[in-house]
Amino acid sequence: MGPLSRETWAQRLGAFRASPSAFMAGPEGEDLGRDLLNELRSEKLSEQTKVSLLALSLEYPAQLWPDAAAAEAAATSLLDTLVLLPPRPSALRRPLLLAATTALAAGNALGPTSGASRRLLPLLLGLASGRDLGRGFGPASEQRPLQATACECLRELESCKPGLLGGCLGLLRSLLGQEGPVQPLSLLLALALRNTLVIQARARAGLQGLLVAGDMPAAGGPWNWTLAEEGDANLQPQAPSWPAAEEEECGLAVLEPSPEEARELRAAVAQLLDTSYLLTPVAQAQLLWLLGWALRGLRGQPPVLFKPQLVRLLGTAQLTLLHAVLALKAAFGEALFTAQDEALLLRRLTLAAQHPALPLPAHLFYLHCLLNFPENWPLGPTGEETAPLLLGPRLCRGLLPSLLHDPSALLAHLHLLCLLCAEDEEKEEKGQDWCPRHYLGELLAGLRQRAALHGGPRALATLCFQASYLVVHCLATQPTVLTPLTHGLARLYRARPALAPHFVDLLDRVGPELGEPLRTALRQEVVSRPGRDEALRWHLQILSKVADGKAPSATLGFLRAAAAHCTDWGLQQALLQVCRALLRAGVGEGLADLLQALARHLEDPDGRDHARLYYILLAHLAGPKLGVALGPSLAAPALTSSLVAENQGFAAVLMVQEAPAPMRLSVGPRRAAGPVPVLQLQVEVLEPLYSVELRFRVEGQLYAPLGAVHVPCLLPGRPCRPLHLPLQPRRPAPAQLAVRALFATPAGLTCHAHLPPLPVNFADLFLPFPRAPDGDKQGFFEELWDSCLPEGAESRLWCPLGPQGLEALVARHLDPFVVVAQPPTSYHVAIRLPPASRLLLRLEAAQGDGVPVALRTDDWAVLPLAGDYLRGLSAAV
Amino acid sequence: MAQRAVWLISHEPGTPLCGTVRFSRRYPTVEKRARVFNGTSYVPIPEDGPFLKALLFELRLLDDDKDFVESRDSCSHINKTSVYGLLVGGGELWPVVAFLKNNMIYACVPLVEQTLSPRPPLISISGISQSFELLFGIQDFLHLGQKNDTELNTKLNQLPDLLLQACPFGTLLDANLQNSLDSINFASVTHPQKQPAWKVGTYKGKPQVSISITEKVKSMQYDKQDIADTWQVVGAVTCKCDLEGIMPNVTISLSLPTNGSPLQDILVHPCVTSLDSAILTSSSIDAMDDSAFSGPYKFPFTPPLESFNLCYYTSQVPVPPILGFYQMKEEEIQVKITVNLKLHESVKNNFEFCEARIPFYNRGPITHVEYKVSFGQLEVFREKSLLIWIIGQKFPKSMEISLSGTVTFGAKSHEKQPFDEICIGGTAYLKLHFKILDYTLTGCYADQHSVQVFASGKPKISTHRKLISSDYYIWNSKAPAPITYGSLLLISHCFRDIHRLLYHP
Repeated sequence: MGPLSRETWAQRLGAFRASPSAFMAGPEGEDLGRDLLNELRSEKLSEQTKVSLLALSLEYPAQLWPDAAAAEAAATSLLDTLVLLPPRPSALRRPLLLAATTALAAGNALGPTSGASRRLLPLLLGLASGRDLGRGFGPASEQRPLQATACECLRELESCKPGLLGGCLGLLRSLLGQEGPVQPLSLLLALALRNTLVIQARARAGLQGLLVAGDMPAAGGPWNWTLAEEGDANLQPQAPSWPAAEEEECGLAVLEPSPEEARELRAAVAQLLDTSYLLTPVAQAQLLWLLGWALRGLRGQPPVLFKPQLVRLLGTAQLTLLHAVLALKAAFGEALFTAQDEALLLRRLTLAAQHPALPLPAHLFYLHCLLNFPENWPLGPTGEETAPLLLGPRLCRGLLPSLLHDPSALLAHLHLLCLLCAEDEEKEEKGQDWCPRHYLGELLAGLRQRAALHGGPRALATLCFQASYLVVHCLATQPTVLTPLTHGLARLYRARPALAPHFVDLLDRVGPELGEPLRTALRQEVVSRPGRDEALRWHLQILSKVADGKAPSATLGFLRAAAAHCTDWGLQQALLQVCRALLRAGVGEGLADLLQALARHLEDPDGRDHARLYYILLAHLAGPKLGVALGPSLAAPALTSSLVAENQGFAAVLMVQEAPAPMRLSVGPRRAAGPVPVLQLQVEVLEPLYSVELRFRVEGQLYAPLGAVHVPCLLPGRPCRPLHLPLQPRRPAPAQLAVRALFATPAGLTCHAHLPPLPVNFADLFLPFPRAPDGDKQGFFEELWDSCLPEGAESRLWCPLGPQGLEALVARHLDPFVVVAQPPTSYHVAIRLPPASRLLLRLEAAQGDGVPVALRTDDWAVLPLAGDYLRGLSAAV
Repeated sequence: MAQRAVWLISHEPGTPLCGTVRFSRRYPTVEKRARVFNGTSYVPIPEDGPFLKALLFELRLLDDDKDFVESRDSCSHINKTSVYGLLVGGGELWPVVAFLKNNMIYACVPLVEQTLSPRPPLISISGISQSFELLFGIQDFLHLGQKNDTELNTKLNQLPDLLLQACPFGTLLDANLQNSLDSINFASVTHPQKQPAWKVGTYKGKPQVSISITEKVKSMQYDKQDIADTWQVVGAVTCKCDLEGIMPNVTISLSLPTNGSPLQDILVHPCVTSLDSAILTSSSIDAMDDSAFSGPYKFPFTPPLESFNLCYYTSQVPVPPILGFYQMKEEEIQVKITVNLKLHESVKNNFEFCEARIPFYNRGPITHVEYKVSFGQLEVFREKSLLIWIIGQKFPKSMEISLSGTVTFGAKSHEKQPFDEICIGGTAYLKLHFKILDYTLTGCYADQHSVQVFASGKPKISTHRKLISSDYYIWNSKAPAPITYGSLLLISHCFRDIHRLLYHP
């Protein structure tokens, strides 16, 4: 793309800013970063346009140069542009430095292997130390601002890569002592000092003379990345910035510097603090945060150094300064603030929280600080907002809420009032000129009065309910507060039923202290005024929330009266919602009649269907199941449409859900006895299951249909006796059983799961013949043997034996079926195969590695199965 | 301690979006740190469009609050500070520092150097106070001397360059943006060493020091047995010191006449180098007695170049300057009003202006007025439902004036008459607006001779004083009125009528 005019660029930048993502996705997106770098060297564009291009790169480097390589290339290009600037004054030097720094730091390109980093860092350090960098770095008039800018750039790099300047501490100190610009150097030194101390403390290393090591890295010499490499782990969210946290918690190990190091450190800190009045207030505050941070982990570094600054700071109204003092207070506690100091700080904070010369956002922040005040000896639980011990009623007098306050101010002050009321109860002080609880009551009444205004903005109603919630939250144990609050809210409902959604929300969020009495009061409020009413839909909404088992006849009476007026679909659904709530609450009597009447008389077919459904549920489901059926849907708890949610609830509870298999089924040892083969099944479950029904289906209709197996309860970890599954083969053949399980979960859902198929082996079908008459086993066997032919089949095969020999093989697999035995060499075996087949085996004259088997069966189809079986025996051992 | 992004949004009710982003600035290097520090709780800064929508929704500045919306209207969604959480892109962006002032929303998001879940308390986030200072600084810059939209646009156009100076990487260097503007202009001046960062150049010219004391008096008067009237003076001392040298030292003393009311709750400018402990501890929280420190109040400081507020104070004077009552009774479509005002004899009876504004809220336009005034004249603003009683420069010799009349209203039209949540039914007020030059209610003054300047040349010292009213309400005594806790205190009840006695000895 050729050079663009100023207007084109302005248009392009405007389009980009309107939506960077949309622009980058468009046709021009890809080239923007490259074009921008090129245009910076164009001689046609004015400096002002170039500055605006650089401003864009300061804000959106990640979009322009999305990866580290692109960022590195961009930084290199920016540095080249900087070097190529003619040596006259230019507005571009400063933004170019900022842009190169931003590209490297934001683009993850900063590091020892980055060429641009190796160029930028010495350049910045040279500029920061005020060295003459020769031609290309502009006229002398720009040196001072560039020096400050270089400090800022270094500080940003140090922020993103802690430890980067660890090797320059001594240099920075000496620069600060000379003629360097105070603020940028102070902030840079303080940050580098803090980071170095944290890194060294973590590595359990000393300061190793870093504070005095004087000179700067030689020009072109390698940058020292040692500390920065260690510091990489430091930019982790493990260090809360609020210094009150325990050292161990925030990962700041305690550093014990040598006396020599301690002296140098003190000197450095004192040097910074002594000139701090030259810094702007916000910069002073940063300095105090950083130094407070740096010193708190150090043993033997008393924080008295800060003391001379405190009085000056306490007198100001500057938010950052007072905040920084609070941070010092939190970091050092009694070591820096005596009890008197603490009291003074608290008074100044109280004063600032209400001073008419300060803006509201500042008041609210100070109020927050008061309720989170870092006390020297806190009594209450940590992490909760409390009024500090020293903040008595007298101090708070000007901090109490008034109806004239903005919503957030009112809530903030109300919270304080609630805390004082809570304390007031604990102390039970009487005869005081102050009765906060009475005032609280008046205030809440005023809020309700405003909320009750018809046509008033919703914000007023919201504020009233937020205040009520806050009061209940803080004063849940005080009936003197809650009783009038309950009555007041009931009256508010009477005055403006349209606030029903707020009431429902409040009931959802408060505990039983207010919830119970408020439910009762609202129910009474609603049912005491039956009949047609503009507010019927609100009444029904409230009732569906508060209807319970208590006084059902009044509620039902109201509903019967209301039904006549529920002419549209919405009202009918609201009415049915109340019925549903009553169903859940277990109200039976009277409700059935109402539901039947609704099922007949409601105009809307949907309404009628619903009423009928509820009636059927009421008639057919026992209490607990009903509760689950009507309970919140497990499938979609967050759906806003109650109807959809309800239907899903039904679907979930009344229909069978598909579920992953919650159990493992396996075939246990064989039990060759009885008239039919019986599989012994072993079950393990992963979760409690109730009313389990296992259903089996034989593939290929080899067996007669199988009956289901029922188990009332299966619990994980509790052994279950084996389950018996009788088989009725139609042919003596192995098969696969498809298994499905139906069960109820503890949540009340009925589920259905497919289990892995269960194999029935040929041997599982074996049954012994009824016992032969004593003494003539051989004759019995021979009779069976002879009976197989001529219809049947005969075969001989070689059955390999394992090392254990024939005797063990027979004992293991064929023992129940042996008719005649001459151990260890000869066995005659007779197997009954239901429905009507037999398999006879003669195992005789075993040799070392096998035994010849003669077999006869009356069923041709069995022959291959028997062969496979016998050949597989030794392997099965 | 840094900012991730800052926005200025003009609030435009009635337009489709209800607002426009006038300025925004993101800080990608800070954003990168936020991603690391916040870990899994990190929520990126959204683009301007989604941010605008989410912020206006949270601040209730969208035009639709007809329906109950749980995420905004739930009773547990309690905001006690100007810090918000915004639902954007599936996450909650927190903390967003934001406030509305003069139809402009000022917003920024500070870096939190730890995980956001659980939310750390605001007091532990160093960037929070910096956010406020940045936004206050921008607000001061935009509204200092700004008179119209063109000027506002000019200043908005200067903001990118100014923030490049004052906040190049998201860490605020100077909340005084005017200072940054000057530093751009002063760039060619060679700086001597130890130049304060808050003073970008040095003054060259005739030395002069100007001190002006502005007292604002506010009051809530009820004329009721069980509610005490309240009033308070808030003072601001503004200085402009045109002195040569880098660090000239100046000490200004504020003095009180023998019967003056002690200054309390004194807040000073950061350039004040030391403070007497009596100044630091003199507070309105304590019960007043004769031992209260009554000056002189000495403020040694090194002045910045620009005009600045040396200190603020409050004071509790024994009587309000004007005491009055307002009685309003509703009679169907008209109301009967009676107003009586009395200037206290100790107050300088020489106003630049003095008027009483009597608004009628939640009613229709005024259709007819019958009235009688003992002094001054009455102006009727029918469409605004407002009466203004122009009292003028002086109260009459009796110091007491009255107004009585009957006001009739037409039908109320909702679009034109905004809803007032306080003045419902009989609850109504009149508000006094007045200004007295060369006068303070406390008696506080800066003596020219007590100003010490340690700089070359003898400066010309000029002092100014003025008293102006601010929130000076007289409530209808025939109906309920909003009260503050101070009005209910029993201790006040004991002295309840003392000031009224002082008016009628």
